[in-house]
Amino acid sequence: MKTLAWWLVRAQFRSRRAATLLSLLAIALGVALGYAIHLINDAALADFSRAMNTVQGDPDAVIAARDSAGGVPLATVNEIARDPAVLIIAPVIETRVRIAQARTPIRLIGLDVFSAAAVMPRLLPRQDDRPATGSIVDGGVHASPALLAQLGLPIGAPVTLTRGDQQWSTIVAGDLPATGPDDLLLVADIAWVQEHFGPDDAVSEARVRLAPDTDVAAWRAALTQRLPAGLLLRAADDDRARVSNLSRAYRVNLNVLALVALLTGAFLVFATQLTAVAQRSTQFALLGVLGLSPRMRLLQILLEGLAIGLPGALFGLALGYGLALGFTQLLGGDLGGGYFSASAPLIVPQLAPALGFLALGCIASLAGALYPAYLNRMQPLAQALKTGFAQRPRPAGRSRSRLLLPMLLALGVFGLTRLPPLFDLPLAGYAAIALVLVIGIAAAPLLTQRVFGYFARQSLPAPQQIALQNVAQAPLMAQVAASGLIVSFALTASMVIMVASFRVAVDHWLDEVLPAPLYLRSKATPLPQELLAALTRPEAPFARVERTAHASLTLDPQRPNVGLLVREIDRRNPAARLPFTGVVLTPPPDMAVVWISEPLHEIYRISPGETLPLPLLGGEFEVFVGGVWRDYSRQFGAIVISRDDYLRLGGVFQPTDLALWPLTGQEAAAVAWLAPWTVNYGLELAEAADIRQLSLSIFDKSFAVTYALEAAAMLIGLFGLAVTLAAGVWLRAGELATLGALGFSRRMLSRAVMLEGALIAVIGLLIGLACGVAIGAILTHVINPQAFHWRMPLDIPWLVLLTGAASTLAAAVVASHYAARQATRLPVAQVLASAQ
Amino acid sequence: MLTVADLSKRHARASRPLFSGLGFAVAAGEIVALVGESGVGKSTLLNCIAGLETAGSGTIRIGPQATDIVRLDEAARAALRASSIGFVFQAFHVLPTLTVAQNIRVPLLLGGVPAGEHAPRTRLLLERVGLPGFGDRWPASLSGGELQRVAIARALVHRPSLILADEPTGNLDPRTAGEVLSLLLERVREQQASALVVTHSQHVAQCCDRILTLTPDGLA
Repeated sequence: MKTLAWWLVRAQFRSRRAATLLSLLAIALGVALGYAIHLINDAALADFSRAMNTVQGDPDAVIAARDSAGGVPLATVNEIARDPAVLIIAPVIETRVRIAQARTPIRLIGLDVFSAAAVMPRLLPRQDDRPATGSIVDGGVHASPALLAQLGLPIGAPVTLTRGDQQWSTIVAGDLPATGPDDLLLVADIAWVQEHFGPDDAVSEARVRLAPDTDVAAWRAALTQRLPAGLLLRAADDDRARVSNLSRAYRVNLNVLALVALLTGAFLVFATQLTAVAQRSTQFALLGVLGLSPRMRLLQILLEGLAIGLPGALFGLALGYGLALGFTQLLGGDLGGGYFSASAPLIVPQLAPALGFLALGCIASLAGALYPAYLNRMQPLAQALKTGFAQRPRPAGRSRSRLLLPMLLALGVFGLTRLPPLFDLPLAGYAAIALVLVIGIAAAPLLTQRVFGYFARQSLPAPQQIALQNVAQAPLMAQVAASGLIVSFALTASMVIMVASFRVAVDHWLDEVLPAPLYLRSKATPLPQELLAALTRPEAPFARVERTAHASLTLDPQRPNVGLLVREIDRRNPAARLPFTGVVLTPPPDMAVVWISEPLHEIYRISPGETLPLPLLGGEFEVFVGGVWRDYSRQFGAIVISRDDYLRLGGVFQPTDLALWPLTGQEAAAVAWLAPWTVNYGLELAEAADIRQLSLSIFDKSFAVTYALEAAAMLIGLFGLAVTLAAGVWLRAGELATLGALGFSRRMLSRAVMLEGALIAVIGLLIGLACGVAIGAILTHVINPQAFHWRMPLDIPWLVLLTGAASTLAAAVVASHYAARQATRLPVAQVLASAQ
Repeated sequence: MLTVADLSKRHARASRPLFSGLGFAVAAGEIVALVGESGVGKSTLLNCIAGLETAGSGTIRIGPQATDIVRLDEAARAALRASSIGFVFQAFHVLPTLTVAQNIRVPLLLGGVPAGEHAPRTRLLLERVGLPGFGDRWPASLSGGELQRVAIARALVHRPSLILADEPTGNLDPRTAGEVLSLLLERVREQQASALVVTHSQHVAQCCDRILTLTPDGLA
């Protein structure tokens, strides 16, 4: 029996070489994309975790301030150190400083070398006797090899570190041999960092190693109860979860896109196997008559599907590994997402995920072969042996009951879109998208029968009449041919709609958040007081200057930090500067007010009118939530507080960013006036137009991968149409030959087949467009808010969509030409003779 | 050996049965022709005997064990066909994607005949049907007469106890038809199988041992 199965599989590959090969390639593409995304992301996460481990070591707990501007008081550190369960406590001060040679601020870590040796050994300086190097306690800084290479500094070189107005002139005393190739950092003794940059009475973090017999969980729970409100205790698991959460939604979204490619592959297997079953129905009937059991007939088609899926998936794994290497070289470790370092991480093939994706490829091809296998199983042998595969058109009277299922499924889609995210992911939204596609494909036969049945009853020239009649009477074949187009065009249209809606929304948003012509920023370190003072003098060529201080807060240790923006904003009229999405509430006069970003509102479920315990300045303050504003730049949320409220709560306003309005006619002079400051302090000056252009180009880059997938999906859909039409010609060879004998010219036959292709494409595109709009709305209103916490109005670019549909229709007609050519080459006499 | 007793068949929604109370037997080594007008139910009777259509009532016993195919489920009917029945069709039905030898070996594979016997049996049958050395050829390169010889070899290769032939010479010219018919009858008698041949041809019917005529009122 195995021999027979193998013969039939080989025969399938031999007789339907192109269709089988393309199905195999489609499966390979889906597997390759999924596996590549997995490998890249895994490598990027591993890279990120490794970098974090280098800096943080492997402590049992980390005590830190919730507010990036705050710190852990030394008194608290000393109290924890006295706990008998604490073996070692390593205090750390971490800040960012500028070096003249560097374009961006550098991370400076101040540590106590003795405690660090136990908790963070990778941060220890090299121990050797070279005369240029000095001990860390003598006041030098040690740089990572990557930083030394980037700056071109030799060991022993003098270096000046600047933070705001504070400066520290020292030497590069040595390097940090255990740091990684992407780690750009400086390490110095904590006392020296404290002396030059402060603070005197606190540290950024205290990293704790507990005695071996300690119940770590119980100790952490007890300490958490005792800690002041402004402090938090983090465990290594929290950090891992935070890193994973950082890119989780983006990663899942890319994986879903890869699954879409796999789904398209499954449809191609479906089209190939169904046409194969139709073409070989007489052969399978004969095998049934000779004694091949129904179960074996079913298994044979599944086996043939697997014979496409298995090599396809294996090829996909190899291709995926290659793509992972290529993508990381081109786009970096986060595929343009902006979450991790842009350098290419080391890609290592992994067995377990490879087996998982191999199984997915096989499952997709088996799923594609399932319905054809069922049809093959159910074909009545005697009839199939006599007349081959035949589909009886369904009576039109049953259409009402056939409408019921799509309507119930549509209700299901509506229900799924109302569900909240599961595990912080829009899983119900993805299920709704799959259901929309199922409805689209299920509706194809009914629509085909109704629309073309109507037109077929009209008085038309013979080729048109024949084409319409055939499409109307063989809705299953039309469904197969159209299904690839429905899926591919729906997904492409939906992505176009979502991206267009997003782009238009970002464009409007940029208009609102960039009111000033010029922006100056220091990238996380305070701006020099000298500059701020100079800007207030009358000779400064500016009509208006607005200052902002950027910091960050930890609301949940397992989630990425949220941004804190202290702005010079009128608390009575915040709408003048912030793009609010809804009502703006007037705060109680004696209470500080904050305005939260849309992602924060979505993630933490905080709404206007509520009070929020804000961990700030080492304490916790009840603040009033005055409104929700739109923010597309900070995916994990941001809070704006007015400078006046911040000062009232006891904060120190240290601006990091400036919005500048030059005096009228003095725009060039303003840029020239700022030039020395940008050079001397390494500040970044940009015009609003440049920021807008850069933002939109980053936006376009982040969707680059999806465009490639859309193009692949459209090609696969068109190919599915061509294959099915060609198979249709083969199946109807007798009918077409009869028409030829009755007087149809080759030209008329060609026209009829091409028209048939165009009609099926029209149905596919119409349904695809409708599904695309529905899926676009789900992506915009469900997936985006749930996965990325961004909301935006739906903006359908009809002109682009209709142009795309027209181009696809033209391409479908060209694809039909292949089938039409086959029809014109039919040896009429021979076909008629063999049909007798 | 084939024994049909009290066999009835009614198509769904038909007002009267296609046939009822049919009974006849075909002994081992006997060749019986089944004739009758178009639409009287010859092919349906043949399909019922092969288990391709289900009979309404009655028994159809096949082979030395007299297995009643009417009582079997679909899978068991397929297994019985694979072991005990050989088929010859008017349209040849030779699989175009398999070579001549592979086509002939299909019943051996389905019947679970040990692999060591496949090549010698196939070679022998090819010689017996007058196609020695044709094993590696593709069906597309064969004439109608040659294709029907391949079909006869395939019908006999697993040594079935019953051969069912539906218009076996219907697609052949008279000279080739005569050759193919002689070959079929010779080989069936040689193997001591029972054969039921459905035909419209008086010449074919005359060559058989016995003629059964199916009419709307039953067998005559």
